[in-house]
Amino acid sequence: MRSRRETLTFYLCISPWLVGLLLFVLGPMTASLGISFTRWDLLSPARFVGLRNYQRLAEDPLFWQALRVTAFYTLLYVPTELVGGLGLALLMNQRVPGIALFRTIFYLPSVLSGVAFVVVWTWIFHPEAGLLNAGLALLGITGPRWLADPRTALYALWIMSIWGLGRAAVIYLAGLKNLPRQLHEAATIDGANAWQAFRHVTIPLLTPTIFFNLLLSVIATFQVFTSAFIATNGGPLDSTLFFVLYLYRQAFERFSMGYAAALAWVLFIVILALTLLVVRSADRWVYYEGARI
Amino acid sequence: MIKGHRFTRATNAAICASIAVLFAACGSTPTAPVAVEPTAAAIAPTAAPAPEGTKTVLRVGTGDSGEGLTPHLAIIEQFEKDNPDIQVQLEPVGSGDYYARILTQIAGGNPPDILQIGDDAVPQFVQKGAFAELEPFITSATYPLDSNIYLPGVFEPGKWQGKQYLLPKDFSPLAIYYNKKLFDQYDVPYPNDGWTWDDFLATTQALTKDTTGDGKPDVWGVQLPGPWTSGFEYWVAAAGGRLVSEDGTQFEGFMNSPETTKAVQFYADLYNTYKVAPLPADMNAFGGGNSEFDSGTAAMRIFGRWPQSGIKENPNIDLGVVGPPVGAKRANVLFWGGFGISALSPHKEEAWRFLRYYVGEQGAQVWKDWALPTVKSVADTSGQSNDPIEGVWIGELNYLAPRAYVSTPSWGATADPALRKVLEQAILDPETDIAAALQTAATDAQKALEDQE
Amino acid sequence: MTRIPQVPRSPAGQVGRAASLAALVAVAALFLIPLLWMLSSSLKPNYQIFAVPPQLLPRPPRWENYREALTFLPFGRYALNTLLISAIVIVGHLLSCTVVAYAFARLRAPGRDTLFLVVLATMMLPYPVTMVPLYVLFRTLGWVNTILPLAVPAFFGSPFYIFLLRQFFLGVPPELEDAARIDGAGTARIIWHVILPLSLPALATVAIFTFQATWNDFLPPLIYLQNPQSYTITLGLQFFRSSYTTNWAYLMAASLVTMLPVIAVFIAAQRLFIEGISLTGLKG
Repeated sequence: MRSRRETLTFYLCISPWLVGLLLFVLGPMTASLGISFTRWDLLSPARFVGLRNYQRLAEDPLFWQALRVTAFYTLLYVPTELVGGLGLALLMNQRVPGIALFRTIFYLPSVLSGVAFVVVWTWIFHPEAGLLNAGLALLGITGPRWLADPRTALYALWIMSIWGLGRAAVIYLAGLKNLPRQLHEAATIDGANAWQAFRHVTIPLLTPTIFFNLLLSVIATFQVFTSAFIATNGGPLDSTLFFVLYLYRQAFERFSMGYAAALAWVLFIVILALTLLVVRSADRWVYYEGARI
Repeated sequence: MIKGHRFTRATNAAICASIAVLFAACGSTPTAPVAVEPTAAAIAPTAAPAPEGTKTVLRVGTGDSGEGLTPHLAIIEQFEKDNPDIQVQLEPVGSGDYYARILTQIAGGNPPDILQIGDDAVPQFVQKGAFAELEPFITSATYPLDSNIYLPGVFEPGKWQGKQYLLPKDFSPLAIYYNKKLFDQYDVPYPNDGWTWDDFLATTQALTKDTTGDGKPDVWGVQLPGPWTSGFEYWVAAAGGRLVSEDGTQFEGFMNSPETTKAVQFYADLYNTYKVAPLPADMNAFGGGNSEFDSGTAAMRIFGRWPQSGIKENPNIDLGVVGPPVGAKRANVLFWGGFGISALSPHKEEAWRFLRYYVGEQGAQVWKDWALPTVKSVADTSGQSNDPIEGVWIGELNYLAPRAYVSTPSWGATADPALRKVLEQAILDPETDIAAALQTAATDAQKALEDQE
Repeated sequence: MTRIPQVPRSPAGQVGRAASLAALVAVAALFLIPLLWMLSSSLKPNYQIFAVPPQLLPRPPRWENYREALTFLPFGRYALNTLLISAIVIVGHLLSCTVVAYAFARLRAPGRDTLFLVVLATMMLPYPVTMVPLYVLFRTLGWVNTILPLAVPAFFGSPFYIFLLRQFFLGVPPELEDAARIDGAGTARIIWHVILPLSLPALATVAIFTFQATWNDFLPPLIYLQNPQSYTITLGLQFFRSSYTTNWAYLMAASLVTMLPVIAVFIAAQRLFIEGISLTGLKG
């Protein structure tokens, strides 16, 4: 009896989201799936072409390039966020005077609008007029041509992304703040050194936070757009051709909305598969005090 | 609950603080001294108070922004004064994302009545029926338009398959900016109209200097626009080639022709063999991230007229402008923006009245203060045709080569990325076999074109 | 500001503190350099921005860049427009995400876990492909050229914040609710009297993250706001870039000023913010 009522309450409570899902989300999502079976230039009516857009994917070298670039970047960035974000959060968690100011400084770049964030880094990476190579020159190193070199451009974007770690760090910091101090202290009393306490007490307790950030960063990293759109436009030689940049180009520059929709759905499947993988694996490595995710 | 109160107060404080800062930051707008009146008006909202149902509201979409909006607004103000039954709402979107916006609006059945697009987009938009044909309006009895008033070459890009769909808003050919200070310093004669590729190369070599003795140039002969394909077409045309067959169906035999090969080779050699041009700082867009000319460390720059007003104010530069050098033939390419009436507009008559005003003599009288006017008589009476700088831009209109991208709606999806790749390869890797790369590009583009069908 | 705790006054503790202070300063410097470079560039004339070698300080600083950038467009008006949208979206997220997240955290029902995956899945389709169908939908509703398409969906929940709040609610001890339930309280009363008072910090977190996201939002305002009178800040920032030229100094000046409200909120609410997230527990 109670469970039936609870079920009813559950659906009542999530009804705003359900209604929103039906009104604003499912419709456009289904529509985009439908569009992926058409040729549509957005200017004249769409034409049904069956699976042609999906067949075209297989033989489109740029599709594979975009997938490779994005996957590689995800492999590069996600661990960076896990480790770097946590490291930054540990710094933000120090009990020293002025810590509030430091926290604000670490968080500042995340507040900056996307365009300005990227533009300032294109200046820093400028091979001659940029700060980075000027700094390297002081050390006697001739810096690479960063964004203008296909071998370094993607790494340059990755370096740039580190500047935005403050947001992830704030979430980690929250996780750290929430850890029961007694456990850590108990471990220290038991003779564990700081590293051991961190490794065997803090990290396991933090796994739910790590899980949260991991999931969201995978979802977000597969959809990186602004940095490539503004800094490199996918170049040089397609070395920074991010998936959503390629998709946006197809939709609004090449007049191929149908193909763009097919790209989007392939991406959707890829992200969904990875998400499920992470969610499944969570049982093994995420330590839950309470309910299951 | 006590805890809750604390947080409520803190939340309130946060919100109040944000509002306070906001007003501190933005409150300066009304109170600041009005020293910059002309620009202050640049993007002031155009809409007048309630039209009371009698006025037709015309929506005008433009990808212009910033100072570029001032002439638009000046023309609109004049037009509204003369035509009290029409109110014009300018809907500007700065760069890049303008097409995403208007394509979405068109797909949603809700575009502005008048739309600005570039000549490269004309075939695609017109072929898919986005614009109303203008011929009946141009020849109408009440509001005709004399198409002979324009400077050479600026009326034609609005045509598709012989019919007029768009009318010229503004344009620019390419030219070479040069910094007289550097020419004087190194005692190099200024370039003359009609100079050749050889003269150009010799000039760049004379002006490339290693002043610090570290083996790397500190002053460059010329700043080139990297892998900017639509600007690169000048080099192909000047070498005597073209990128696509006249009917827009063949890249093979054109993109990989000896003339195109020669053009790419010469361009790449300026970077890598003669080393008279600084390598791109990034491969984005048209500038290649370079700014040596603005910094006073490149003697020349090949580009359109767009940054000219900024260059004139730059104390590093004493500006001269000359036509691009002559290769196998004299050639130039046009960049063009035009206005058309949306096929979906419910106010086509009113839109035509505005468009006619806008691109006609009255509009040109305003434009001439901001950019090159499209109307010949205005360019002549304003003195621009004979101006030592503006006259060069106008004179270059006599040497326009046909544009590849106006001959096929598929240029952007086929040949453009292929050509861009070749240019990137040639600039990045001095060892590139350019003929082979162009062969690949032509084959790829041809195949992509077939896939489009 | 922060409580300086009773750290053991051992020499080792002091060395540790000095070391962490040094690390903080070093990392903070790295984080500040790009911002200072922005600030310096925003005070230069455009032709100085790319000087070789880089010119660290503007000589002389062009303070009028700020005045000109902010009068170049009706900045105050755009700020107010953006503020209005942000305020509505914040209210919408707070109302909707709370109830939805509570259900996902606490109520057992068949299909719950699957539906929660659906919540996550709605974040996985890139916006550019749903943008046009959404536009068509809102046009049918007659909402285009109003702020409704930007504001109304907020009242139907947002996956990120539903996830965040759900994590928080999972961390609230269930005993409190059980007590209330025994007293005969229904779900609405439990949310209102038990969950909400305990989750004010979490709600503040949602509000601040939402404020920042809405303040910097770009594509939706781009397509729905037609009349320049209703433009937002980010659309205004676009005016410094045109097809072939960019006014770098103005862009940077205006971008820095645009940051201020969000920074102010972060500073003012920092303690609350960080405790807020910490209380979300993220305990799964």
